[in-house]
Amino acid sequence: MSMIDPIKASMAIAGSGLEAQSARLRVVSENIANAESTGLVGGSDPYRRRTITFDNVMSRAEGVKVVRVKDLGVDQAPFRLEYEPGHQAADEKGNVKHPNVNVLVEMSDMRETNRSYEANLQIFKQARAMAAMTIDLLKGSSS
Amino acid sequence: MIPVFLAGLASSQAGWLAARQTAIASNVANANTPGYQVRDVTPFSAVLENASLSMAATNSAHMDPTGGLAPTQKVSKSESWDVFHSGNSVALEQEMMKAGEVNQSYALNTAIVKSFFRMVSMSAR
Repeated sequence: MSMIDPIKASMAIAGSGLEAQSARLRVVSENIANAESTGLVGGSDPYRRRTITFDNVMSRAEGVKVVRVKDLGVDQAPFRLEYEPGHQAADEKGNVKHPNVNVLVEMSDMRETNRSYEANLQIFKQARAMAAMTIDLLKGSSS
Repeated sequence: MIPVFLAGLASSQAGWLAARQTAIASNVANANTPGYQVRDVTPFSAVLENASLSMAATNSAHMDPTGGLAPTQKVSKSESWDVFHSGNSVALEQEMMKAGEVNQSYALNTAIVKSFFRMVSMSAR
């Protein structure tokens, strides 16, 4: 199927954008929820920050280029070390590895996700309004 | 007097506006895709002046190189409001403005077509 109505194509593309941004929000919330998730035994690794990237790919079903999640990865940045000898995950020197999550970075990522989601939603609404205007041509001529 | 084919003109503009909306939708959806460059359709005046030649499909197995949609071009980065470190040149505010323009023009287009057909049906009555 190669032919598709451009208004339907707009809706399909905006829908794919909404889906991609919600996947991103899920990753951000996972990072924030695990911002203090340390290991269970002495010296073990804590939660590692997860990352997400997007790609513009051809969708065979709709015949248009949509946005998809390209890769879910992990951030290789070093962990934050804190001296907490009484902690269950403390190593022999009393240091505990904390996740490499910076909550401020996650919050700004969340704001950007929100903004992009809203923009996609706006495009979807406009495409729907355009379809409605076209249908209204039929209603107007009969009355 | 040069004849104006209003219905044909209006329908080709509606088609162009819908294609532009698709290009904008693609830009907005890829606002966070690394390396994505903003795309737009050719201006409507250019479309009117040179209805560009396209390859004829003489067999149902021939592929349409444009995928049935109007072709789009990459917009140079200097024309975009923002260029991000990832190589992405989508400025959401700019895209929202373009989408607003498209929506207004589409509303105007359908209103004109409506009134044109009202005139036709009035004279035919």
